[in-house]
Amino acid sequence: MLRFIYLYRNLTRNSLRTLMTCAAVALPIIVYVLSTAVIDGLSQFLDNSAKQLRLVTMHKTSFINPLPVGYRAKIESLDPTKKRITSVCGMRWIGGKIEDFPMPLSTLAVDMDTFSATFPDENLSEDEIAAWNRDRRALVVGPATARQLGWKVGDRVTINPSVLPYNPIEFNVISTAPLAKDVVTNFFRMDYLEEELKKVTGPEGWTLDGWVSFFFVKCATHADMDYYRVAIDEVFARSPDETKTQDEKSFMTEFITQFFDLPTNLTILAAVTIFVAVMAAANTMSMNIRDRLNEIATLKSLGFGPSTVFVLIQFESLTLCTIGGFIGAALPYISFNHTPLRNFTVPLIQTLDVRMIVCLESLVIAAAIGVLAAAWPAWTGIRLKVVSALRNLE
Amino acid sequence: MALPLYYNWRNLLRRRLSATLTFFLVGVVVFVLTALLSFAAGIRASLSATGSARNVIILKPGSTAESTSILLPAEAARIVQAPNIARGSTGQLLISPELCVQTNIPRRGPVGTPASVAIRGVDDITYELHSELKIMEGRHARQGMMEIIVGKAARERYANLELGGRLEMGRLANRVFTVVGVFEAGGGAMESEIWAPRTMLEDAFNRRFLSSVVVRLEDLARAQTTIDYLNGPAVELDAQLETRYYEELSTKTREIVFLTTVLIGIMAIGAIFAVANTMYAAVDGRKREIAMLRTIGFARSSIMLSFVIESLLISTSACAAGLGASLFLNGSRKDFLSDTTWTVLAYELRITPGILLSAFGLATLVGVSGALAPALKASRMRVIEALRKA
Repeated sequence: MLRFIYLYRNLTRNSLRTLMTCAAVALPIIVYVLSTAVIDGLSQFLDNSAKQLRLVTMHKTSFINPLPVGYRAKIESLDPTKKRITSVCGMRWIGGKIEDFPMPLSTLAVDMDTFSATFPDENLSEDEIAAWNRDRRALVVGPATARQLGWKVGDRVTINPSVLPYNPIEFNVISTAPLAKDVVTNFFRMDYLEEELKKVTGPEGWTLDGWVSFFFVKCATHADMDYYRVAIDEVFARSPDETKTQDEKSFMTEFITQFFDLPTNLTILAAVTIFVAVMAAANTMSMNIRDRLNEIATLKSLGFGPSTVFVLIQFESLTLCTIGGFIGAALPYISFNHTPLRNFTVPLIQTLDVRMIVCLESLVIAAAIGVLAAAWPAWTGIRLKVVSALRNLE
Repeated sequence: MALPLYYNWRNLLRRRLSATLTFFLVGVVVFVLTALLSFAAGIRASLSATGSARNVIILKPGSTAESTSILLPAEAARIVQAPNIARGSTGQLLISPELCVQTNIPRRGPVGTPASVAIRGVDDITYELHSELKIMEGRHARQGMMEIIVGKAARERYANLELGGRLEMGRLANRVFTVVGVFEAGGGAMESEIWAPRTMLEDAFNRRFLSSVVVRLEDLARAQTTIDYLNGPAVELDAQLETRYYEELSTKTREIVFLTTVLIGIMAIGAIFAVANTMYAAVDGRKREIAMLRTIGFARSSIMLSFVIESLLISTSACAAGLGASLFLNGSRKDFLSDTTWTVLAYELRITPGILLSAFGLATLVGVSGALAPALKASRMRVIEALRKA
């Protein structure tokens, strides 16, 4: 108990310094939490991709080359029992822009019949699936996109596609997919897109409909995935449109790393912030101990052993940094979960989900910073020669 | 009367650990600042060097970039009617029909992840409009031949684009194009591209349409007339100055700058607290000394100044070190996939004078504002009490 009082007194006797140290630790921790939240968001997304046992088949040469819709039947015929390939869903990208909204949307037309089976991670309810089947203009909006644009179920909305047919398309929002893992992408029915495409004239010798950007192939097991990843490409080898099939995780990773290689760069940033926090905390602790050398000498001369001195110094640093870490973790957690900042969109990745686990992790890291920062001062405290310390100082 | 710098220097040496820690802290913050800003500066430099104010680029209304635009030959034919189009050396109108496609080319290096590189199909007349393009090595690609010329940045960043290299392209990836030239384009975005004869590309990719049409203006002052005509009912396409088109593509860099400002702002405040901490300790540890200085006639202001200088000494030298470290980044090549054009842009990280200035500005700000409160405390010290306590 006495030691706690001693510790408390030490922390409060120079409250300005304590406060500033907390802040100097808390601020880098904020940056750390934010950057790890982005990395965490991306890796969660990729983990889900890996769990879903889906293959993505695209054109061999580039994603700008479309594949014929007829390929779906050929892929399905590889497994007529539907036990190993459970469903195949074609997808066509139309991008999308909203008037007076700066960010481009990610909107995809998908095969209406196999969408919900291929993407159970969209977590559509039975009513929503019924609405999807019933309404030709059905649109499933990504939850983050819905929040940004203020779209609700039942709204009638218009999206301007970035590619053919270019003309605005009207949709009825049937779901904002609150439990979806992909929080930004919107899905609508391929048959509706094909209908819209019939209204415009395309280039000569080109049919506008009948093409898709990718096929998502849902498999039953990992072994099936490994088998069909090769088997699908073999079917289309030496055909007019050869394919490249990969698992969904590698497909998505390829895209994500191309955007500024966000995971790598943010990891570097996070490491740097930790370094900054250690510097700041170590600085204060070394000053604290320097100021108090005579006190430590007194403690020792009273008979307290080096272990007590060590624990006292370490504990002081630990407390300081944990408080700083708590502030640094709580601030972004509260502001990105419970304030209007919730709707804040990060450029490049669009959503920032600060999860509790990330905050707890940074709290642990803050505590580790405390221990690390006090290492040298504590060592000085242990080694301190009582006589010379008392002689040198007033 | 000011205190000599030597005094500050000796003081810093006395608190070696604390001074070193502060030094590293400020240095790291400066390094992160310059690194992040150099990304933005590199991209902006590349995009702002692209396009000419004398050119108008025409896309399909509704499309967001060349790569998502499809212009039918019939639509493009209407462009000829537009007023104020310049004529070339042989007297024909300077209208350049262009086709943009992409192909995956592995990056250089051990991993070789594929990048979606832009391929531009051009006619001979295109070179008159994009006059910034210069052949560095080899020669131009000839019409009707399976030949390509590659941008300087593309050659450096992606595999197998050396002179004489072969690139398989097209829907079937069975058309083998040979690299016959390497070009530079004033550091612009086109240096990340590959150019090929348009008809050969149309054939290889099975595309009977254009992505964009670029026209050169006769009279710059009447640019708006031309643009209005092209956007109007007679042509009904989406025309804008080429410079504006590339300017808009670089909006992404504004997001990087914004994010950098927020992140560095947070870290800089942290650094200010750390510096303030160090300086408070310096003041507290030197009470007697300060009182002595006052007694022998140094003014409050010169004592205050002395502490600010001491702090600046740390922060600016840390800044110099941080900048020195970041200079290693200068000129290194990166690329990123734009989510508007869906093609990669290779760019060089650039440490511009503006970045150097903002780094020094940040260091000075951190140094001064960190020292201000402690220095004030030092200058307000009661001399008699401080001397008596000792």
